[in-house]
Amino acid sequence: MEIEQRREGDILVAKILNDRLDARGADDFRKAMSGFVSDGNRRIILDISAVDFVDSSGLGALVSALKLMGGDGDILICGAPDPVMRMFKLTRMNKVFRIFEEQQDAVRALSVE
Amino acid sequence: MEHKEIKLVIDSELKNVSLVGRTINGLVSMVSPCDISPHDIELCVVEAVNNCVEHAYGKQRGHEVEVRFALGQDRLVVDVCDTGKPMDQRHLAEADVAMLEIDHDDIDGLAEQGRGLPIIKEIMDAVIYQSKGGKNCLSLTKFFGSGEKTRRCTGGQDGD
Repeated sequence: MEIEQRREGDILVAKILNDRLDARGADDFRKAMSGFVSDGNRRIILDISAVDFVDSSGLGALVSALKLMGGDGDILICGAPDPVMRMFKLTRMNKVFRIFEEQQDAVRALSVE
Repeated sequence: MEHKEIKLVIDSELKNVSLVGRTINGLVSMVSPCDISPHDIELCVVEAVNNCVEHAYGKQRGHEVEVRFALGQDRLVVDVCDTGKPMDQRHLAEADVAMLEIDHDDIDGLAEQGRGLPIIKEIMDAVIYQSKGGKNCLSLTKFFGSGEKTRRCTGGQDGD
């Protein structure tokens, strides 16, 4: 699992560079997100614009990452391609995560909080 | 042609699942009517193959997962088969679309797994599991919409 990181103030913008977030990469993703949280990141934007497929294991890893925050912080998602957005809606994850089309919109949303 | 069938066989490793998924997506894109989403069928097949690798074979390599893709006059059928530990039939019976409903105010209560079968049942029209003679098969069926019998997405031409 390759994740590109950059900062916008105290916001961590993490972009998944792989095209699939699935059972094969779910454990690596979970570990990476766990590392971000244990490093003290509490405001994370996950850019999934390069991801064209997410399965239930990938979703589980996303949920796991959100739980790691323990209510103290937030993970926003941006750039979900149509098939991935469809998966989020199918599993109601669009009600759990705030999802933005553009990365800058997500940054703006977190910046004003 | 009345019936088309293709069989894919992979070794039981998660790294091979995307190969099957992409192939099924491509097949559906090429030969199925427009009202069937290639991504949806790929998702169901990936979930089913993941279950074979993770549960039937306990993530052990060296076993076969067989995926048969068949296209009939009014339906698409994908059978996903293994020769590992059979699934408890109750898992499929109890997998309900309602399991996808969530309480978004209860983050700690959100499940991290167990969505595969509910997703499959939500998308497919019929899901049947059979275990016979040491072979376990999950059969996924999607019917075509009315009036869409032979219309293809590429150019809207009649099929063969």
